[in-house]
Amino acid sequence: MKIVDTERVDGVAIARVTDDVDAANAGSVKAELEDALAPDAHCLIVDLHETRYLDSAGLDMLLRLAGRLSHRRATLMLVIPAQSQLARLAEIVGLPQTVVVQPTLSSAQEACATLSRDAARADV
Amino acid sequence: MGHQEAQGGAQADVLGRHQRAPEEEPLNDAVDEARRDAILSITDSTLGFMSLQDMLSELLERIRGSLGADTAAVLLLDEDRGVLVPRAARGLEEEVRQGVQVPLARGFAGRVAAQKRPIVIEDLSRADVVNPILRQRGIRSMLGVPVQVEGRVIGVMHIGTLHLHRFGSDEVALLQLAADRAALAIDRAQISEQRAVTEVMQRSLLPDALPDVPGIRFSAKYLPAWSGVRVGGDWYDVFQLASGRLAMVIGDVVGRGVLAASVMGEIRTALRAYLIEGHDLASMVSLLNDLLVSTGRSRSATLSILELDLASGELEQPRGVRVGVSARQRYETRQYPFPAGSTLLLYTDGLIERRGESLDAGFERLIAAARVAADGTDSSFADHVYRSILEEASLEDDVALLAVESLPLEDVLQLTLDTQPEVLGGLRNTLERWLAAAGASENEIFDIALSASEAATNAIEHAYGARDASFTIRCEREGDDVTIVVSDEGRWRTLRAHGGGRGLMIMRSLMDLVEVNTDEEGTEVKMTKTLSRRA
Repeated sequence: MKIVDTERVDGVAIARVTDDVDAANAGSVKAELEDALAPDAHCLIVDLHETRYLDSAGLDMLLRLAGRLSHRRATLMLVIPAQSQLARLAEIVGLPQTVVVQPTLSSAQEACATLSRDAARADV
Repeated sequence: MGHQEAQGGAQADVLGRHQRAPEEEPLNDAVDEARRDAILSITDSTLGFMSLQDMLSELLERIRGSLGADTAAVLLLDEDRGVLVPRAARGLEEEVRQGVQVPLARGFAGRVAAQKRPIVIEDLSRADVVNPILRQRGIRSMLGVPVQVEGRVIGVMHIGTLHLHRFGSDEVALLQLAADRAALAIDRAQISEQRAVTEVMQRSLLPDALPDVPGIRFSAKYLPAWSGVRVGGDWYDVFQLASGRLAMVIGDVVGRGVLAASVMGEIRTALRAYLIEGHDLASMVSLLNDLLVSTGRSRSATLSILELDLASGELEQPRGVRVGVSARQRYETRQYPFPAGSTLLLYTDGLIERRGESLDAGFERLIAAARVAADGTDSSFADHVYRSILEEASLEDDVALLAVESLPLEDVLQLTLDTQPEVLGGLRNTLERWLAAAGASENEIFDIALSASEAATNAIEHAYGARDASFTIRCEREGDDVTIVVSDEGRWRTLRAHGGGRGLMIMRSLMDLVEVNTDEEGTEVKMTKTLSRRA
C-alpha cells in the first residue's frame, strides 16, 4: 500500500503521508518522498497532519531526506499541526532546529512560493 | 426411409415408433445375448476401481465392438453452463480433444438430452448437427441415448457408423442398457471428482492463518455440507490492513461446486485488492458492486464486510448492502462501538437454518450457544458455537463462521510478539486501548505508546536475521504508575545504524524513568511513567 499521496500545486510537490511512520515503513516512505520531488524543484512539502506516530526511524529518515535535498539546493518543509502530539515530539527532539516546520499546508505553500521567488531573483 | 423424408428430411426418428421391416436386420438371439454380456461385464464391479476416464473409455470400446459401431462417445452435462461437453470417445477422439460444446436442445446430442429419449439419425447428411466433427469424420448414421440418474439427465451416449445403417430397437435397448449401467458410476465419480476439486479450491481460498493481533482473539470454522456437491459457496476472510485496521468478511455464493468456489475466489481477491490498495470501506463496496455488475455475477453473492479500528474500538459496516444489482451505486457506512469484552460473530445461514423449522428457532439456538461460548474458556468461541449447534445435526448446506473477540483489558497486559517491524503498529494500537482504559491522558498515551514502540524496535533490531524470534512486552499499572518492560534475547545496540541513539533519547524524554539492563540472557528495558490524576 502506498503511504504517500503526492500532488503538484503551482509546481510544488505536496506529499501527504497517510499513516504512521516507523521502523516498518521508514525505508519505503523515504523512497516515495524522493520520487515526489521534481528534478528542478526548490521545495518539497511533506504533510504530516494525518500521521499520529513518527518514531526515531521516521525522524532519522526525515533528517537524512532534508540533507539530501539541501545538496540539490532544495528545501524540505514539514507540515506538523501546532498543538499536536507530533509537534510536541518535534520540539522534544529539536526537529525545528534542522528542518523547516510549518503548522499548516497553506503556510508551507506560502513559504515555498517565497523561496522560489528568491531563487528566481538570484538566477537573474 | 420413406417416413423420415416425410418429416421434411429432418434426421430424428425415435426408435420404438420406428417401423422396420423384419428382414432388414434379423435379430439373432445368440448374438444379442453375447452383446449384452459384453456390455454388462464392463459395467460391473471392476468399474468401481477405475477412474471415470478409464471406465468410460473401456465401456465405449466394448460398446463399439459389440454393436459393430465405428464411433462411440459420451458427453456429460455441465449444469452451470447448460452445455454438453464430450468426455470420452472411441473412433471420435477429435471430439474430446477439441472440446466442442453442444448446447442443450440443439444439435443431435442436445436434443437427446432435452427430450430425454433415444434419437436415431439415419442419414447424417440430411440432419441438423452442431458438431462439425461428426460430418468430417464421415459418420453416416447415429444413435444417441440419454444418460440419466433418477430421471435427471447427466449426459448423452452416442454411437455412429461410417456407412448408412438403420439402428434397430435391439440396438437402442442395448445402448440404453449400457448408458443406464454407466449412469450411476458416472454420477458418483463426477460428484466425488467435483467435490475433491471444490474442497481443494475452498481450502486454498480460506486464510491459512488468522491474524495475530494483541487484544483480539479470532476463531473460525468452515464445514462443508455432508453430502453431494453442495460444498463450495461459503467463505470467510480476515486480514490486517497497513493502517492497522482489521477487515473481516463472510460470504455465501449462490450455487455450488467448482463454479461457486471460483466466483467466491473472484470476490475474495477483488475485495482484498481494493482494501489493500487503500480504498475505504464505502468506495471498496462501490468498486466491488461495479465489478460484479460488469462480470454478470449479479445476485450471485451475499456478503458481510466489516472493518475494525483497533485504536478507536469501532466497527464500521456498509449500510444497506445490495451489491451487484445496478452499477455506480454509492454506499454509506455506519459505525458501531466494539468495546473490550464484546464478541462479533459472523456466520452463513447454514448455521441456523434447519429444514421444517422457523428461522426464529435457529436464532434462539444460536443466541443460547453464544452465551455458553462467551462463558467458556476451554475452547475457541467458534468451536464452542459450532459444537453446541451442529455436532449432532447433519449439514445440509455449507457453514462458515468467524468469531472476533475483543479481550477485556486487565491491569497487566503481557504480549509476545514476533521480531518483525510490522508488529509495531498493532502494538501501539493495543497499548493505546489499554492505556485509555487505565485512565491515561492523550499526551500520556502518546508518550508511553511511542516509548514502548521504540523499545520494541530495538528488540526487533537485536533479532535481525534470526528466524521465528520473539520478544515480550509487559505493561503493568500500580496505582498511578504505569510500568512497561520490554525483554529480548539480544544486547542493546548503542551504535545503531539508524537513529544514532535517538530512540533512547525519545524514551528518556517521554518517560519518567528508563532503565536498560543487559546481561548474558538478553536486554530488558524498563520504563515507568506516573499518570497525572484527572479529576
